[in-house]
Amino acid sequence: MNDAALRVMRGLSLPIVLLFAWQASGLASHNVRMPLPTHVVTAAVDLLRSGELPLAILQSLWRVFAGFAVASAIAIPLGLLMGSSRTMERNVDPLVESFRPIAAIAILPLAILWLGTGTAAAVMIVAYAAFFPIVINTVAGAKGVNPTLLRAAATMGLPRLRVIRTVVVPAALPAIGVGLRIGMGVAWTAIVAAELAVGAKAGGGGSGGIGQMMFVFYAYSIELNRIIVCMIAVGLVALALDALLRVALRVLMPWSAR
Amino acid sequence: MAAPLLVYLRTMAAFFVVWALVARLTANSVLLPSPLAVFEALFGLAKDLELFFHAGVSFARMVASLVIGSLLAIPLGIAMGLSRKLAQIVDPTIEVLRPISGIAWIPLALFIFGIGNALPLFIMTYAGFFPILLGTIAGVRGVDRRLIDAARTMGVPPRTIVARVVIPAALPSLMVALRLGVAASWTAVVAAELIGAPSGLGYAVEWYRELLATPQVMAFIAMIGVLGYLCDLGVRALSRLFTPWASDARSAP
Repeated sequence: MNDAALRVMRGLSLPIVLLFAWQASGLASHNVRMPLPTHVVTAAVDLLRSGELPLAILQSLWRVFAGFAVASAIAIPLGLLMGSSRTMERNVDPLVESFRPIAAIAILPLAILWLGTGTAAAVMIVAYAAFFPIVINTVAGAKGVNPTLLRAAATMGLPRLRVIRTVVVPAALPAIGVGLRIGMGVAWTAIVAAELAVGAKAGGGGSGGIGQMMFVFYAYSIELNRIIVCMIAVGLVALALDALLRVALRVLMPWSAR
Repeated sequence: MAAPLLVYLRTMAAFFVVWALVARLTANSVLLPSPLAVFEALFGLAKDLELFFHAGVSFARMVASLVIGSLLAIPLGIAMGLSRKLAQIVDPTIEVLRPISGIAWIPLALFIFGIGNALPLFIMTYAGFFPILLGTIAGVRGVDRRLIDAARTMGVPPRTIVARVVIPAALPSLMVALRLGVAASWTAVVAAELIGAPSGLGYAVEWYRELLATPQVMAFIAMIGVLGYLCDLGVRALSRLFTPWASDARSAP
């Protein structure tokens, strides 16, 4: 047997053993509510066929993209300014560093208070969560610009904004890309948490999205198989978002390939 | 140029002035209380010891889950870093579970554990486990092969090689992994407590929101930030203590 085949076999062995153990212990427990791998599969087919799951995922994704866009629109210009002006960085950094340790979920109660339990609050949480990785990486990228290039631009008498646009931005793009990728991962986690918490506190309706759907399955219909389908969906979407962003970044800036 | 502390105070003072002005304009202490009201609430909660009770509960949960997570992740990570076969067996399972965030486990965990201590502990341990595991694997793989080979040539038994060669060499990246683990589990604690725990900072924030006591909500949010920052500072101090030779990486994602 060649090396690759051996590797695949080894990789599959543990999941298969775990799935069998789960199915066997579930069948042995005689508990109707106990989730089983086979039931999870049928639940997944049901949820996909009825369109509930794709709809919930789309709802959550829409919020993630909206919040992510807001975060990028604020964080990238701010990060570029902070990275290219020492005064700006010194004065704004304390604010960023003071808010960074506050988890996005912690401000959820404020978001609900200000914006209600709907999409606006969820978008705010996503934007807050994604803001910090993007701004920090943008600052790092802008500060990492080769100083010789900056001096050359200054020698040629370029105005500041033009320097940022023609020198700083292209050089900082790979770091911004890293920030965007981390930010997207954080944003997806945040939306699930936000929808879950809104579902938990607002008593069901009004929100939608995959987190809300999971909470409804927990609190109202007690369908553990469906909860597990949602968890798998959360993981798959996280992987898909990361892959999408990675491909997009590679296409947009091929020079940053590692 | 002004001293860093002065700049910090100046920026934060400006922030508080803007906040106070906006609060004055809003003129609605439920929507946006003035900074003064929040400080008052903070002192009130500190005087009742309520603040420290909830902070202590959250902190204790985090330490406990970090200990459990490290006890699981570090030995597994060392073994996976040393044995390619084991890594090939376990790695796909890890990669399947990792994208499912700890927070997505909350509904299922609520059903299994109910509301109480076990739920936040499980969620935080899960959230902290993956960064610690991946960091340990990377650290062990980064150990100079020649050091291990040299020790083996001299007839050092495998157990001693792990304790005396692999762990010290992998320690710096292990500490970085621990830092990421702390950050991940601190985010998870708030979410877990907000939904499924009868105590802790996340619970307190939600409790006061339901009472529409916004100053208290903001006071507890500030406490979450302060404690999160102190935890990070603590891990950094630990890594300087254990690995004084390693450079202190500043930013974490």
